[in-house]
Amino acid sequence: MKIWNNSFQNIREQFSGSGDLQIATRRKCSTAALWRSPMLLVATLIALLVFPTVSHAAKDISVPLDSYETWSEEAVEAFDRIMVQEGGRVKPMLTYSRFNMMKFLGGGTKTKFQTKDGVEHKIGSSEAMMDILFKGDRARFLPFFLVEDSAAVIQIGVSPKSKRDRYSYEELMPGRAKLAELAEKYRDKAKAHSQNKAVNPDLTLDEKMVLELGGAVSSFEFLLGQFGFARKGEMLVNEQILPDELKQLATKLDMAEMLDKMPEMTIDQLFQTIRSAAGGTEDEKMFSSAMRLFFFHANSGIGVNLIQPQDKETEKWVSVGEAMITGLEKKDNRPWAKEKMAATQKLVEAAKESDSAFVNVATEFYEGQKALAGQRNNEGKQTDREVKYYNAKYFSNSLVFFIIAFVTLALSWLSPGSGFGKWMQRITIALSVIGVLLLIWGITQRCLIRNRPPITNLYDTILFITATAVLFSLALEWFTRIGVGTMLAVFTGFVGMWLGITFEAKESSDTMGKLLAVLDTNFWLWTHVTIINIGYAAGLIAAFLGMVYLTGAFATRLMGKAKESRKFFKTLNRMTYGTVCFCLFFSLVGTVLGGIWANYSWGRFWGWDPKENGALMICLWSLVILHARMGGYIREVGINMQAIVLGVIVTFSWWGVNNLEVGLHSYGFTEGVERALHLSWSIMGLPFLLGVFLFFMDRSEKQAKLDAGRKDDLAAEGA
Amino acid sequence: MPKSKIDWSPANWPRLLFRFFSSYGLAAVVLVFLTIITLFGTYYQVDNGLIAAKRKYFTSWFLIHEFFGKFPVPLPGGLLLMLILFINMTIGAVIKVRKRWRGIGLLISHFGMLMLLAGGFVTFAFATDGNMTLYQGMKSSQVQSYRKWQIEVRPVIGENKAEKAWVIPSEALEKLDPNEGKTYDLPDLPFDVRVSQYYKNANAVPTSAPVSANAPGKEIDGFKLLQQELFTEAERNIPGCVAEFVGEDGEKAETILWGYSSKFLPDEKPMPFIFEMGGNKYAALITKKTWSVPFEVQLDKFIFEKHPGTQMARNFESRVTRMESDQPEKKVEIKMNEPMRYAGFTFFQESYGPPNAPIEEMFSQFAVAENPADQWPLWALVITGIGLAIHFVISLMEYSKKSRSNRAKS
Amino acid sequence: MKSSYTIFCLAAAAILTSCGGDKAAVSVRDLLPEEQEFKLAKSTTERFRYAARETSGSGHEGHAHATKEGGPQLIHDIPEGWTEKPAAMMRDVNLAFGENGEGECYLSRLPGAGGGLEANVNRWRKQMGAEPLTPEAVQKLPKKTLFGQPATFVDVSGDYGGMSGTEGKKNYRMLGLVLSNSAGAVFVKLIGPKALVDANEKQFNQFVDSLDVKL
Repeated sequence: MKIWNNSFQNIREQFSGSGDLQIATRRKCSTAALWRSPMLLVATLIALLVFPTVSHAAKDISVPLDSYETWSEEAVEAFDRIMVQEGGRVKPMLTYSRFNMMKFLGGGTKTKFQTKDGVEHKIGSSEAMMDILFKGDRARFLPFFLVEDSAAVIQIGVSPKSKRDRYSYEELMPGRAKLAELAEKYRDKAKAHSQNKAVNPDLTLDEKMVLELGGAVSSFEFLLGQFGFARKGEMLVNEQILPDELKQLATKLDMAEMLDKMPEMTIDQLFQTIRSAAGGTEDEKMFSSAMRLFFFHANSGIGVNLIQPQDKETEKWVSVGEAMITGLEKKDNRPWAKEKMAATQKLVEAAKESDSAFVNVATEFYEGQKALAGQRNNEGKQTDREVKYYNAKYFSNSLVFFIIAFVTLALSWLSPGSGFGKWMQRITIALSVIGVLLLIWGITQRCLIRNRPPITNLYDTILFITATAVLFSLALEWFTRIGVGTMLAVFTGFVGMWLGITFEAKESSDTMGKLLAVLDTNFWLWTHVTIINIGYAAGLIAAFLGMVYLTGAFATRLMGKAKESRKFFKTLNRMTYGTVCFCLFFSLVGTVLGGIWANYSWGRFWGWDPKENGALMICLWSLVILHARMGGYIREVGINMQAIVLGVIVTFSWWGVNNLEVGLHSYGFTEGVERALHLSWSIMGLPFLLGVFLFFMDRSEKQAKLDAGRKDDLAAEGA
Repeated sequence: MPKSKIDWSPANWPRLLFRFFSSYGLAAVVLVFLTIITLFGTYYQVDNGLIAAKRKYFTSWFLIHEFFGKFPVPLPGGLLLMLILFINMTIGAVIKVRKRWRGIGLLISHFGMLMLLAGGFVTFAFATDGNMTLYQGMKSSQVQSYRKWQIEVRPVIGENKAEKAWVIPSEALEKLDPNEGKTYDLPDLPFDVRVSQYYKNANAVPTSAPVSANAPGKEIDGFKLLQQELFTEAERNIPGCVAEFVGEDGEKAETILWGYSSKFLPDEKPMPFIFEMGGNKYAALITKKTWSVPFEVQLDKFIFEKHPGTQMARNFESRVTRMESDQPEKKVEIKMNEPMRYAGFTFFQESYGPPNAPIEEMFSQFAVAENPADQWPLWALVITGIGLAIHFVISLMEYSKKSRSNRAKS
Repeated sequence: MKSSYTIFCLAAAAILTSCGGDKAAVSVRDLLPEEQEFKLAKSTTERFRYAARETSGSGHEGHAHATKEGGPQLIHDIPEGWTEKPAAMMRDVNLAFGENGEGECYLSRLPGAGGGLEANVNRWRKQMGAEPLTPEAVQKLPKKTLFGQPATFVDVSGDYGGMSGTEGKKNYRMLGLVLSNSAGAVFVKLIGPKALVDANEKQFNQFVDSLDVKL
C-alpha cells in the first residue's frame, strides 16, 4: 500500500516538476488565475456557437383536432417492450420508434402541438409511433414532419408556414404526387452525382430537403397502412387506388376468414388472377374483388417485422403481411398465419378500445414473443435492458451535470483562492465525476446489450473518447492540482456529450446496429480499437493543454506578469509533454496492433488506406514533437504549438478521413461534419497564432538581452 | 551544445556525414516530411486510387506534388524517407547513443521500430500477394496476381495444350511507351516478339464500330486496340497490346493480344492467339501472372450468411481440404479473421462471386499471401512494448530516488 | 565513436552498391497441369468474347430501323414468340413477349454517359428492390457483347416497381445490358414475371446478338 502511495506521489511530482511546486502554485493562485480569463471568453464563445443549433423550435403548432387523449404511461411502457426485428437485429419497439420518428422530426424525439380546446400537448416518439400504427386518423393531423426550409414545401405546391416548421401528413397531402415525382428525380440526380462528381452537379439544399421529405412521407404511409387488414375498412392508406365497391367490401370482409376460403396460391398467381378480368357472374366478380382486397392488405402489411417465423431455424422475422402471404401459399400454414393475424388484430382493437385493454393485450403479445424466443435462439434477450437504457437517458443527464459543472467552474473563477472558490472547485470536480460515471455506466449498458466491446461504430467512439478524456483530465488534476485538469474535464465532458447527442440526432439511425463480417471479432475490437481511441483522446487533451498554455502565456505576457506565473506554465508544459508521450504510446501500440489485425485477417500489415494513414500521422507527429524537443529545436512554446497541430491531426483522422470515402449514405451528413471540422480547426488555429507571437516576443527579448550584454561589454572595453 | 567551428576539410567529411545522419534534427525533419506525404498521399488516393497513391507517394524515392492541383513542389518519397529514418535510427539511437542503463528501454524500443521498418522493406521487396478462386468441388494450387499482367508465348503440344511458357514480365511491359515498341528475344525459340501499343487499360473494338474506325492504331483482323482511361482501382484495368512475331527467316505473324481473352471465372480456360512459326504451333496471350503453392486446396463447401432481413454480410467461410503428396489430407475452415497459415503461405477468406450470386453458382475467393516478414510486426511490437515499459519503470525509479534524496536534504 | 562511423560507412557503401541493375528479361516457366489446356477460339471475334454474328441468326430477316434518312440503321432479329410494339418515347426498339405481353424488352439510348455505369445498374437494381452494388461489384458484373463491345450484364430478380408498394409486381426478373462510354450509353432491358423471363432467356441472348448497326 505504501509503495503505491509512493509511486502515486512520484507520478504526481513527475507531472508537476517538484513537490514544492503545488504549494507554490496554490499560494500564487491569484497570478496563475490570470490565464483563465481568456479561456472563459473562448468557452463562452463556443457555448454561444453550440447552443442555438440544439434547439428545435417550431412555431405554428395548432392542429385541427378537437382534443387529444394522451396514451397512459402504462400503455407506452407495454408498447415499448414489444420486440421487432430491424436491420438484422431484434430490438424493442422503443428503439424502433425512437429512430424512425427521429427521421421524420429532423433528429428530435418530441412532438409539440395544440388542439382546438387550447390544450398544449407534447408527446414522445413512442406515443407518436403508437398514434401512427393504431390511431392513424389522428396521427395524420399531427405535425410529424420537420421541413428545414419552406422552399421545399413550396416546390411541391403546399402552402408554407414559417421558414422552418413542422407539417402534418394532411397538410402535405395536396403536394403528395408532386413530392413523389420530385423525390424520384432527385434521387437519381444524387446518385449520378455520387458516381461522377465532375460532370453531375450535386443536389441543392432545397432538393435534398425534398428528397428527405419524400422518404419520410412514404415511410409514414407504410407505417400508417401496416395494420390496415385489422381495421375493417377504416383508415385505408392509398385508398384512392381502390374503387368504391372495394372500399365497401373492406368494411365487411374478415381477412382471416377469407384466408380459409381461398385456394392455395403464390402471391404471383394471386397477382396474375387479379390482373385477368373477372368472370361474368356476381359470385365470380365478388371473389375477384375479395382477392384484390386480400392482395392490397397483404401488400401494405409488409415492413414491421413483429412476428417470429414458423420455422424455428429461420432467423428472419416477418411482418403480418408476409404471414398472410405464407398462409395463402399453403393450407398447412394457415392456422399459424391466422393466429398471428388474430394477435395483431387484438392489438389494434385493444388500442381502439382503451389504454388498459391495450396494456393487457400488448403485454400478452410481448410475453408470447418472449416465450417463442426462448424456444428459438433466445433472440432479443437484451431488449428489456435496452428499454431501460433509453429510458434512463444516461447521456443527456451526463450533459446536464457537465453544464452545471461549467457554471460552478465559472463561479470558482470569480474569486479564486477564496474559500468560496475552493468549494466551487470541489463541487465542479464532484459534478464531473458524476457526469463521467453516468457516461461510463451508459457505455457499459451498451456493451451488455450488444455483448460487444465499447467501440464498434463512430457513435461509440464519441462516447468512449469523451469518457477517456474526462477521466484523463481528472487524473491530470489529481497529479498537478493547478485547476487546468478540472477545466478540461468539464470542457471535454460538455463538448463530447453534446457531440454525441447531436450525432445521434443527425444520423437518426440505430446506434447499436449489426456488424459486418470483418468486424465480427471481439478480441481485436477490444484491443486495437480501444487502444487507438485512447490515443485519440490523449491527442485531443494534449491539444487542449497546448491551447490553454498558449492563450494563458500570451495573456500573462500582455499583463506583464510572465515572471510570477513561470512555474505554473512550466507545470502546464510538462502536462502537455507527458500527454503527448501518452498519446504516442497508445497510438503507436494501437496502430501496430491494427496492422497486425489487418495482417491476420487479410494478409497485409499495412495498406496505406486513409484510416491507417490517419493513425500513422498521429504517431509520426508525436514522434516529431519528442525528437524536436530532444534536439532542442522546440521549447515550451514550440511543444504546445505542435500539440495543437497534433490535435488537428487527431480530428482529421477521427472525423475527416471518414468524409474522404464518399458513400451514398453519407451525403447528408458530410457537410455538417466538414463545417464542424473546419470550425474546430479555426478555433485551434487562434492559440496557435498566439504561439507564433509568443515565439517572436521571446526571440526579440533574447535579442534585446544579448544586445544589452554586448553594450555592457563595449562600455567595459571603452572604460 | 557548444558552438564550435565546423571543420569542413574533406578528411572530416565522413565524420560530418555521421553527425548529420545521427542527429535529432534529421529525425524530426524526416518525420515531418513523412507526415506531409502521408497526408498528401491520403488525399491523392481519393481521386487516383490506392495503387497510384502508393506508387507516387509511399514507395517512391522522389515525387512532385501538385499543390491544389496546380503548383508543383518536389518532395522526398516514402521509400527514401523511410530509408533515411532507418539509417538515422540505426546510427543515432543504436550506434551513437551513450550506452547506459537508463537508456536501455529506449534502445530496445528503437530496435523494435527498426525491426518494424525492416519488416516493411522485406515485405515491399519479397512479399507476394495474389488470389485463388474456386467453385465448390474444385481444387487448385495456382495463385493469380491481382494486377500484374504478362505476355506468355507457349509452344503448343497437340491441339490445345502447352507445358512451358516464355514470359515477358509485367515489370517490363509497364515501362513500355505505348507509342514506341520493344522487341524481345525469346531464348531457344526461333522468333522474336515485338510489342507495341501496350495500354494498361485497353479495349479491342471491331472497326465496324464508328468509335474504332476513326481511332488511331493498327487494324488487325477487323479489330483495333483502343486506349481506355485508367481506373482508380487498378485491378479493373484490362491491358492489351499489338504483338508481332518475326521468325528467323522473315516469317511473320501479327495480332492484338487483349486481357479479355484470359480467364475470369475459376473454371474458365483462356483463349490464346494461335500462330505457326517454322512449322510449329504457338499460343500467345496476355494474362495475369500466376504462381503455385506447394500443396493443393480443394473447396468442399462455401457458406455465406447475411444478417437476417438485410444485405449485410454476417459471415462467409470456406471449408477446404488441403492436399499434399506426402502428407495426409487435412480439413481446414477459412473465414474472416481466421486464415489458414501453412508452409509460409497464408490463405484469407477475401471475397466471393460472381456478383449476381446466388442466382449463379457461387465461388469463393481467397487472398494468398507469402511474406517472409509476416510476423515481424508482432515481434517488433512486443520488443517496442517491452522497451517502453522498461523505460517507464526506470524513469519512475529515478524520480523516486531523486525525490527521496530531496526529502532527505530538506 | 570511431568504430561506429566505420560501421556506418560500410552500411552506406552496401546500400549504394545494391542499387541498380534491371532484371526484366524474358524467362521460361513450367505450366501447372491445371493451366496447360486452353480453349481454341474460332476467330478473333470469339477470342475477344464478341459473339460470332453468323451463329446467332434464326432465319429471321434483319429488322431495320432508320434513325435518320440515309443514316446508320439499327438492325435486329425478332426472336420466336416475340412481337414488335410500336416504338415509344426513348425506345429505339420495343418488343413484347408472353401471352398477354407481360414481358417487354426494349433498347434505349442516352447521349453522354447517362449517369455512368454504376448509376444505371443500381437504378435498375433499385427498381427490382435489390440493394445497390458497390462500384467494384458493378465492375465485376459479367459482360455480354452488345454491338461488338463488352456490355455490363445485369440480372436481378425481385419485386418490380411501385413507390409505395401497392403497384409492386411480385417475383419479377429483369435482364439488362448497359454499354456506356463518354460518347453515350445504350441500354437493353428485358422485364417480366420470373417464370416467363426464365423461359425467354435464350431469346434475349439471340436478340442481343442480332443487334447491329448498318452504316
